[in-house]
Amino acid sequence: MSYSQKRKLTNSIIFIVLLIGAVAMIAPLLWMLSTSLKEKQDVFALPPIWIPEVFQFSNYTAIWEAGPLLSGIQNSLIVAVSVTVIGTFTSSIAAFAFAKLRFPHKGKLFLALLTSIMIPYPTLMIPQFMMFSKLGWVDTLLPLIIPGLFGNVFMIFFLRQYLLSVPDAIIEAAKIDGSSYFRLYSSITFPLIKPAVAAQLILWFMGIWNDYLAPIIYLNSPENQTLQLVIANFNATYAIQTDYPLIMAASIVALLPVLIVFLIFQKQIIESVAISGVKG
Amino acid sequence: MFTKKFWVTSMLLMLVSALVLAGCGGNSGSSSGKKELTFMFRGGTDEQKAYQAVVKKFEEKHPDVKVKIIVTAADQYATKIRAAITGNSMPDVFYFGPGDLKAYVNSNVLMNLTPYVENNKDVDLKNIWKYGVDLYRYDGQMAGKGDIYGMPKDLGPFALGYNKTLLEKAGIPLPDPKKPYTWEEFVKVNQQVTKDTNGDGKPDVFGTGFNVQWALQAFVWSNGADWLDASKTKVTIDDPKFAEALQFFADMQNKYKITPSIEEAQTLDTYQRWMKGEMAFFPVGPWDMSTFEKLPFDYDLIPYPVGSTGKPATWIGSLGIGVSAKTKYPKEAAELVNYLTASKEGMQQLVDAKVQIPNLLDMAKTWASDKSTKPANKQEFINIIDDYGRALPANYTYNSEWYDLFFTDIQPVLDGKMTAADYVKQQQPKMQKLLDKAVEQENRSKK
Amino acid sequence: MNIKSSLYRKEMIYGYLFILPPLIGFLIFVLFPFLYSLYGSFTDWDGLGQMNFIGLDNYKDLLTDDLFYKAMFNTFFLMLGIPIGLLLALLLALGLNRKIPGTTTFRVIYYIPVISSLAAVSIMWNWAYNGDYGLVNQFLALFGIEGPNWLANKDTVKPALIIMTVWKGLGYTMLLYLAALQSISRTYYEAAELDGANGWQIFRNITWPMVQPVTFFLVVTNIIGGSQIFTEMNIMTPTGGPEYSSASIVFYIWQKAFGNLQMGYASAMAMILGIFIFIITLVQFKMNERSAYDGD
Repeated sequence: MSYSQKRKLTNSIIFIVLLIGAVAMIAPLLWMLSTSLKEKQDVFALPPIWIPEVFQFSNYTAIWEAGPLLSGIQNSLIVAVSVTVIGTFTSSIAAFAFAKLRFPHKGKLFLALLTSIMIPYPTLMIPQFMMFSKLGWVDTLLPLIIPGLFGNVFMIFFLRQYLLSVPDAIIEAAKIDGSSYFRLYSSITFPLIKPAVAAQLILWFMGIWNDYLAPIIYLNSPENQTLQLVIANFNATYAIQTDYPLIMAASIVALLPVLIVFLIFQKQIIESVAISGVKG
Repeated sequence: MFTKKFWVTSMLLMLVSALVLAGCGGNSGSSSGKKELTFMFRGGTDEQKAYQAVVKKFEEKHPDVKVKIIVTAADQYATKIRAAITGNSMPDVFYFGPGDLKAYVNSNVLMNLTPYVENNKDVDLKNIWKYGVDLYRYDGQMAGKGDIYGMPKDLGPFALGYNKTLLEKAGIPLPDPKKPYTWEEFVKVNQQVTKDTNGDGKPDVFGTGFNVQWALQAFVWSNGADWLDASKTKVTIDDPKFAEALQFFADMQNKYKITPSIEEAQTLDTYQRWMKGEMAFFPVGPWDMSTFEKLPFDYDLIPYPVGSTGKPATWIGSLGIGVSAKTKYPKEAAELVNYLTASKEGMQQLVDAKVQIPNLLDMAKTWASDKSTKPANKQEFINIIDDYGRALPANYTYNSEWYDLFFTDIQPVLDGKMTAADYVKQQQPKMQKLLDKAVEQENRSKK
Repeated sequence: MNIKSSLYRKEMIYGYLFILPPLIGFLIFVLFPFLYSLYGSFTDWDGLGQMNFIGLDNYKDLLTDDLFYKAMFNTFFLMLGIPIGLLLALLLALGLNRKIPGTTTFRVIYYIPVISSLAAVSIMWNWAYNGDYGLVNQFLALFGIEGPNWLANKDTVKPALIIMTVWKGLGYTMLLYLAALQSISRTYYEAAELDGANGWQIFRNITWPMVQPVTFFLVVTNIIGGSQIFTEMNIMTPTGGPEYSSASIVFYIWQKAFGNLQMGYASAMAMILGIFIFIITLVQFKMNERSAYDGD
């Protein structure tokens, strides 16, 4: 066998292995989709039916009545959008200051911020909860929104790194021209880091969209719950009645928005994850 | 890649969300001019529907009151209500278990309902289960007497049901509710029923399948043992009679093979097997009636099989409905509680929805004597309350951690990997330690 | 001179102004709660008003708390998924690094579980692990294996969770490995091939050392993430699993704090978790510094 033949054979074997792996990765999700299109009793059929004879799209209409799914989507959107948009602004402007402006104790302050990466949320959640409860904010979305508005240390860290690779000369020149510092940020720095900011924003958005621990602590009323809690409640309520198609339909709906965002921006997302190594 | 449009859209979204947020903030005050009460409770979908309907009726009768309902799945209720209490976002009216009574009163969570209940012409305390009302009395030292801090939403006597159709088909004489089975008889009947009907070598019809957490009490108590001594400060599971009962419970699976095997059995599955008609005996609580109504077979109630005392036993569950000490509308909140627990009108609706037994004695009497609805022997529920039912052990203590631990580690006994005698010996000190802690905590919270 | 110093002052003011929000956020939402949690861990705080100083009692109680040990053990046991995931991901990345068709598609497919909502995915696996009708057991049945009721059995619930976490995280790990592999210069491989090195030798002496920083980064981030696992058990085994065999440390903290209102006790556990993660992160920073110098 020649060298190139051997190489071809190895590659085909690898391709097949990767294919099997890909099937294993996607199969549970497809099965979820298939379950969501079945009738309630069909999920107990043995052997299982992968493609239901009749697609029961009625599950997808029933879920809106069966739980506060719509308000869940709204709440998740409110939290994720307000936090990421405002938080990205505060984070990027802080990153700009840390990277390009001169002021005393800069390094120490940056280090202090970085220590918060080392403190896990579960360590802080109890006092935070009590703090927000004193303000009467429990069972509102505010405890999920307000802390994020002050910025995200991961993002500051990453954008600062990114900015360090931008030559100082451009900014120094503008400084001497007498541009205001906000203009330095908004019309010179920001356009330069826009791709990095956007990628970070999307990752952060996904993180908030999928968050579960903070919402479960704060939100009681069904109409105030975020989407992830709503579907978890679907699971708790309808599993007893073994209405799995309904549960799966609701879960699919919860997956879809982020999945769509991912599929549209997959190239950018995958690249930025690979570069930053910051978890999304 | 990220065009101007992307940013414009983002900014717009931000603006919209900010507006919505502002809107949310504005809503929290009572803008409609109505008195808004929040009512937080738990239950299955049937119970939810029933209670929502009753609340609606209440609103019709009190046009100036609006009730906001928060309902959770049963598992999540405990954490949710506690988070709401510590989180300063307490609902005005809410369910709580008798086990929480002392802690909630000591920390000023519950409003004293006595003035709204006694001397109220709409509430006839004598016509409500005394056992139930006493569960929510507390005088600062002992539960069971003193002021009323909650009204029983109902009582939940946990009876034993049997599949009438199945027994008849198997040619087994129907059990007599007046003469409970002994353990031996129970095993014998069950063994007759457990069968392989489709010839695959594995039984598919079973005698029974109990969940240890909810059914063990019947066996332990009927054998003359208990979790606690009379002072409620000592764990007494190391009593040989206790071990005997626990061993019998485990033997039903491992020795007598009248329940689904370990691999086949999980609570959900035994419940489903019962519902499919593949199980002869299964516990039935009043809250099950609405679901069991649709069963494809006939069922009825009997007492649990009796151990060495010769007397049946089981537990009576209860949830109370209380009012937050911080409510803005104490009068309206108390009225809602009374409407849900003590009014003829409210109670009748709940009973008709088959989610509970009547709270009112006279109504319960007529209800129990009606043999035309399933289960025919509803009297058994009443007997449990009047005669042989008890409160769950954790109701008496400041928290239930010690009791929960008993069930957390019990699996090896049920699987036959450990004897009951060894288990109770090993577990008693651990539970005692937690109970001591609970007692200590209770004492600290009193001063 | 004067202009310069006033310029400098202006820059300083704006500098502070721009970093003010994250700094305030740090003080209010990190530093203060952290100190409060530290103090709370020495009290019998119950969240209802009671907060008496009880010294080290909470920490002493932890030493004899079986459930605490169990939750710790479970949490570490579940981390067995980390090496498994790393190995699988590296193999996949090695495969994807070759010239074969469809690599982009594969990358996207492997990455889909990563971006999927953890709650939805937990719900799905909850159903997939159903003893009678779940996908996993139906798959096993193809090979004549009768699968257990995964989540209801204390011996299988942890492996079940490990399988799920590996499935969920594989795409991310693979991606980072792939990026690392692609950054290795071709010249190394060409030189090795000229020397007649075989595949294993190439892997052992070139690939593995080159991806080591990524491996280290992944191990650390996975440990940090793994020690905070919560959502999976909250949805799949709401009571902590049979004999508490799937409860994680955060699950136990959550239950103690918000289920039993033992905020002080829960704070003590939260501090221990915090210290653990602090140390792990510190190790990472130190190693990073070192590797940064090594790299030069």
